[in-house]
Amino acid sequence: MAQIVFTLNGQSVTVDAEPEKPLLWVLREDLGLTGTKYGCGMAICGCCVIHLNNDAIRSCVTPVARAEGKAVTTIEGLSRDLNHPVQRAWLEVQVPQCGYCQPGQMMSAACVLAQKANPTDADIDDAMSGNLCRCGTYPRIRRAIHRAADIAGGKGGRQ
Amino acid sequence: MNSNDVSRRAFLTAAVAAGGGLLIGPLLDSELLAGTTTMQGASAVPLNAWIRVSPDDVVTLIASQSEMGQGVMTTLPAVLAEELGADWSRIKIEFSPTAPPYRNPRIDWQFTGNSESTTGFFELLRTMGASAREMLIIAAANRWGVTADECSTDNGRITHRLSGRSMRFGDVAEDAARVKPPANPKPKPESDWKLLGKSLSRVELPGKIGGSAVFGLDFTMPGMVSAAIKQSPVHGGVVADFDKSSVMNLPGVIDVVPIPNGVAVVARQYWQAYRALKMLKVTFQSGANASLSDATLNSQYRSALDGNVWKTVKTEGEAVTREAMRPRFASVYSQEYESQFLAHATMEPMNCTAHVTNEGCTIWGPLQGNQLAQVTLASVLNLPPEKITINRTLLGGGFGRRLLVDFVVQAALVSRAVGKPVKVVWSREEDMQHDVYRPATLQRITAGLDKVGKPSALAHDVVSPSILQYVFTPAVTEDNDPSCLEGLMESHYQIPSQRVDFHLLKIGAPTSVLRTTGYGPNIFAVESFIDELAARAGRDPYLFRHDLLKDERSLKVLETAAEKSGWKRRAPKGVGRGIAYTEAFRTHIAHVVELSVERGLVKIHGITCVIDCGVALDPEICKNSIEGGTVWGLGVAFKSNISFKDGRTVESNFHDFQIPRIYETPPIDVHIVNSNTNGMGGTGEVGPVTVIPALTNALFAATGKRYRTLPLSRHGLKLA
Repeated sequence: MAQIVFTLNGQSVTVDAEPEKPLLWVLREDLGLTGTKYGCGMAICGCCVIHLNNDAIRSCVTPVARAEGKAVTTIEGLSRDLNHPVQRAWLEVQVPQCGYCQPGQMMSAACVLAQKANPTDADIDDAMSGNLCRCGTYPRIRRAIHRAADIAGGKGGRQ
Repeated sequence: MNSNDVSRRAFLTAAVAAGGGLLIGPLLDSELLAGTTTMQGASAVPLNAWIRVSPDDVVTLIASQSEMGQGVMTTLPAVLAEELGADWSRIKIEFSPTAPPYRNPRIDWQFTGNSESTTGFFELLRTMGASAREMLIIAAANRWGVTADECSTDNGRITHRLSGRSMRFGDVAEDAARVKPPANPKPKPESDWKLLGKSLSRVELPGKIGGSAVFGLDFTMPGMVSAAIKQSPVHGGVVADFDKSSVMNLPGVIDVVPIPNGVAVVARQYWQAYRALKMLKVTFQSGANASLSDATLNSQYRSALDGNVWKTVKTEGEAVTREAMRPRFASVYSQEYESQFLAHATMEPMNCTAHVTNEGCTIWGPLQGNQLAQVTLASVLNLPPEKITINRTLLGGGFGRRLLVDFVVQAALVSRAVGKPVKVVWSREEDMQHDVYRPATLQRITAGLDKVGKPSALAHDVVSPSILQYVFTPAVTEDNDPSCLEGLMESHYQIPSQRVDFHLLKIGAPTSVLRTTGYGPNIFAVESFIDELAARAGRDPYLFRHDLLKDERSLKVLETAAEKSGWKRRAPKGVGRGIAYTEAFRTHIAHVVELSVERGLVKIHGITCVIDCGVALDPEICKNSIEGGTVWGLGVAFKSNISFKDGRTVESNFHDFQIPRIYETPPIDVHIVNSNTNGMGGTGEVGPVTVIPALTNALFAATGKRYRTLPLSRHGLKLA
């Protein structure tokens, strides 16, 4: 067991955990944040995507020790009241069906938009190719990312 | 902030997850956590089993059907709210208990599946909503001393139209509850609908978008421990031996417990249980299926199709047999089609929480088959069914897998063994390798054709293992399973002589219900074959179908698909267009796929889909479902496949059981044609049914080659 200190959704946390324990399970079981999902356990499906210092990473294969001293953002911390452009667009376009993969989708999408203000379909396909959705909401994910870009750019965004 | 603060905050966020003024908290209510199912404040008054009104005008609507992404916890409560004249912004949705009022009236059984939530409950809920509305009106009219027919409801108020007086639902709820329910409540005419037929914001989306939505895997309660399981790798095998002492000293481990086909490691946390399980020394006894493989299965299917053990399940007209066709018709054409085994692969792996005590058993889980869970647990635990309380969380996908209750029984057995509430969680590998699969089918269709190549007789032979055996046993006999014959018993094609013969195959691999059930493989065969007949006759495949159809709804859907896809415009060189039509799950559907092929890479330029599901109660939800179903169908067509070797399932995770990714998804254009509410159909499963043959038909149009076995990866084809 080791004491690991990192910033979680803007606030400092200290956890006692085995250093090799995946961040996914530390978040879900030690810190009670269950928005980050378990899907495959081998970085194939993207259900567990979170941000580590602004990079989208797979928390199911990331040892918690890697978070030491860094900033972790989960879906719960993406915005205070669902007002991140990605979340607003996701609601407007009514993207989710079962919704299980969507936190991972939104965390990946937020990263795309942070890097490219107006991604093309090809940019989106490239950046989102590691996020599986069994319900097949991909057409809406594409639409919602374009919409989020508009909202973030002040085009037609609602307050 | 310490970790307790974070988890308390997460809990509070979840508990108040409310979007757009909607008061939705059915999933993490403190009373639910305490194991009770009564969530409403004590003062809320029930008007019937579906509707409660509180003095502050909050209307609680009961959702009997599990929410797995099909939007049913919005659409069906909206039917109640519509009839009631409720204020949609003052609605609270609560899942029903597992109890008789909430059973699907068609089969007196509570479950969510077969795409029949809307068809099964629409009329019932209209009636219940109208009944509660009339009770509120009578109570208000009595207060005012006026007659009920001078009053109406809207937006949570009852109004006396002549005087303009009005009062809130909450004002008369107590009185209304004492009014005798009307004998013949009258639902509103469609023309008066304000909520139905429009796209509502789905009630559970804020939670899904903020991360607070509670799926089975997210459920927690005080004192709960977690279990990781390993089941016999060979289907049907059992545990021979395990050495508990090999893991008992590992962090957090509480116990190692045998379950019917395997072993469960119980620990304080799931991660601890999972890690300990990997180190557990356990051996299995293979049993009868040790040599099961694709090769043994193929030979079983082949022997059945070539053999003579058939049950004739449909005869229409002369029902000419395949053998008798040759001398009778100008020509005879016959082909075989094969669909593969599939896993459900819900994104949320199987899991369930159970708490078994001396008093009874309480379950919290992502379930489609809640009554089956109740009945099965009553038998397994030797308790009366009323001692089994089933609570449902949201489902991270269902697709039929969660109609089964194997994981529910495991949770109950493990809880009983350790005397604590236990959440059993399957790893992805367990989920994939211990699924109960969509059975592969092998089919042969033979047609007797007239001089112009039009079919006069059709003989269809189907070899399939059972679909309903574990989820609805009463429907299955020694040699028949109606689900395997879906789409064949009632065809819209006008062919004078028709027969269907069936061979129910007994195999070692477990098979069950999966999205599209019998319709998927059967319509792939039928719509491929019809297309082949059109090509042989030198006819346009759209017009050829048009000539064979008579039913008004069929024709409207087919014609709209042709119109919206620009079927009559000539396809550019190298581009192939394919079409397919059927009625499945009571919905009429047609797909048109446009594609081109280069060196085995299939570029889909666009897909058009038209449905008639009666009346789309929420068009956006229907469209989302059909889009997603179309994507699902592309995965089935191209790459999803389960195979068997040495008695085991070969595929273990998403690297070898592949599903579509975003870059493989073409533009999909969905159109809804409404007919009427007497013909309500489902939209959850129909999406994949016609896109697959439309796609293979388009491949023929583009390349001249027919693909009769799936997935297309077997033929070296990939989605570009």
